[in-house]
Amino acid sequence: MPIELLIQALLNGFGLAVVYILVALGLTLIFSILEIINFAHGEFYMLGGYVAYYAVAVGGLNYPATLALAALVVGATGIAAERLVFRRLRGKTLNAFIVSLGLLWVLQASAQLGFGVLDKPVPSAVSGIVRLGSLVVSRERLVVIAAAAILIAGLYAFLKFAPMGQAMRAAAQDADAAALQGVDIEQVSMLGFGIGCGLAGVAGALLAPIFAVSPTMGALPVVKAFIIIIVGGMGSLPGAVIGGLLLGAVEGVGTLFMSSAAVNVLGFLMVIAVLLARPRGLLGAG
Amino acid sequence: MNRQRRHVGLVVLAIVAALAACPATAAERVLTVGLIGPLSGGAASYGVELQRGAEIKVDEINKGGGLKIGGDVYKIKLVAYDHKAQAAEAATATNKLVFQDKVKYIMGNAVGATCNAAQTITEPNKVMFSFVCWGTSNLAPEKPYSFRSMLSQWELTEPFYRWVKDTHPKIKRVAAISPNDTSGKDTNTAIVKALKTLGFEVAADEYYERGTKDFYPLLTKVLAQKPDMLDVAAAPAGEAGLILKQAMELGFKGAKGWTAGTNPFTIIGVAGPEASEGVWSPANINVKGDHVSAAVKKFGETYEKQYGEVPGVIAVANYAAFDVFTQAMQRAGSVETDKVLEVLTKDRFETVWGPLLIGGKETYGIDRQFLYPLVISEVRGGKVVDVAQVVPAALKKK
Repeated sequence: MPIELLIQALLNGFGLAVVYILVALGLTLIFSILEIINFAHGEFYMLGGYVAYYAVAVGGLNYPATLALAALVVGATGIAAERLVFRRLRGKTLNAFIVSLGLLWVLQASAQLGFGVLDKPVPSAVSGIVRLGSLVVSRERLVVIAAAAILIAGLYAFLKFAPMGQAMRAAAQDADAAALQGVDIEQVSMLGFGIGCGLAGVAGALLAPIFAVSPTMGALPVVKAFIIIIVGGMGSLPGAVIGGLLLGAVEGVGTLFMSSAAVNVLGFLMVIAVLLARPRGLLGAG
Repeated sequence: MNRQRRHVGLVVLAIVAALAACPATAAERVLTVGLIGPLSGGAASYGVELQRGAEIKVDEINKGGGLKIGGDVYKIKLVAYDHKAQAAEAATATNKLVFQDKVKYIMGNAVGATCNAAQTITEPNKVMFSFVCWGTSNLAPEKPYSFRSMLSQWELTEPFYRWVKDTHPKIKRVAAISPNDTSGKDTNTAIVKALKTLGFEVAADEYYERGTKDFYPLLTKVLAQKPDMLDVAAAPAGEAGLILKQAMELGFKGAKGWTAGTNPFTIIGVAGPEASEGVWSPANINVKGDHVSAAVKKFGETYEKQYGEVPGVIAVANYAAFDVFTQAMQRAGSVETDKVLEVLTKDRFETVWGPLLIGGKETYGIDRQFLYPLVISEVRGGKVVDVAQVVPAALKKK
């Protein structure tokens, strides 16, 4: 097998993995603070896609402003969901899991009724390809990768250095101890949920011009995100990044050797292997 | 008091007698007709066209006073269920139609695997089933109540690739990509068979899971085989558009085909004018083109006025199928499926396609395939242009 083909496959895998990492980071942020597994997370990704469609294809807004709008609209929707539904279920993992499944169907059905069932294309902001020898990457995907990487770095910096980010980490480690130190757990939960959903919204908006938008577009990214956070370790942000890159590499290279159906199984085999060998995930807390 | 009671009784009797004497009211009945299809998800464009094609026919019938069958007049009620292109959901939807809604006619379905699932319920219950699914096994002697109202891969691929060979002799290597299910497997099988028969090389025979959005990994493998032509075979519009767009991003500049391209207008929307430029689709009908009848043009105008979109072949096929089945009911003077089946298999019908022929025995072992001439179209500058009309071999024999 030519080495160029292998590198191209790795590039393909990493390219999309960066965006799925964004979705996974939101999911793991929500889990670490609220102990809620939000199955409706993919629907927030879908909402971001529709914000991009209406902002760009209908309203003619530019892309940077569209990304900010997607973060705000979807983040605000996430905050509303936290205040109205999930706040009462904090720590009640099973109840929250069932409610999030219900929310998934409600949001998906609402999107079908409100936006229609057909794929809606979103115009591309940049076109053309970049050639590095025999390797090819589209400019559009490079922009998406760069934007996603900046957002991941920004989130990391926020959690590391900003007072609210530090409060979130404290709440994730031990909510009672954090509350005793004066951290407003209610506010942290609300903002954590909003930021998590906002990240999914931005991911949806980033990929909208590449994949078009549809009411069911959130199904695949949320499955990938779950694989990523289980492999990386539930609640671990660096784990999500490593899990995402690993999944991208395995799927990208795997396609060269096996059918697409078999490749889809690879991710789940990875989950089984990690859970057997290291149940808390690669970088998860014990 | 007794006299008063007698008067009231007489008035009531008179009203009952008057109602009974009113023939239209007495004999007016409702015929519930079912429809299943992918009304959401990646293949939703198929289901939506099926439903709209049926709705236009139902409107025509109901606004025209109903369907006169024997001594009765039937208003048609259409009940549609979404199966999301999944076989299990299709079985559930069919069960609901047959046992809950008590339908005897299911006029519309798409995606081969879902047809097989539905037929496990329709055939034993003698429910007439018309569909546009592309599974070879969907038509068989043991499935006498099933009809395909649209040309399938077995009628289309050979004449299409014969045309490619005659008009573009530089194309030697063809890669086919389809969804990994019955429709996709059967379509690629038919394409590979046609390619080999006609002397082409098969550069790739690949499959993807429905719902896939990122085709870079698959295309990297396919394009490494240096195909002269890429056929997005049985991919529905949304996925076919993404494949072509991403193939262009990866530098593919060869010819493009869409064997199951039921509505080329939809692929322009998803792939954009640049990536869809030059796509040939042989399965479609251009309702605005020169090769279609005045009836098809009129149907296209009604559809566009009602739904704001240009219909593809699935909408026309389901409209025509509805027409054929209702004509057969009228000729049989009954809605009983066995009586209607007898008429369907013996008579000829005038439809928007022109005089409709039902054949296919050579391929499927039973004549249940609607046959009509096909039009090959090409996308040029964001528009759909008819480039040739070809006749399937089965139709030539008829």
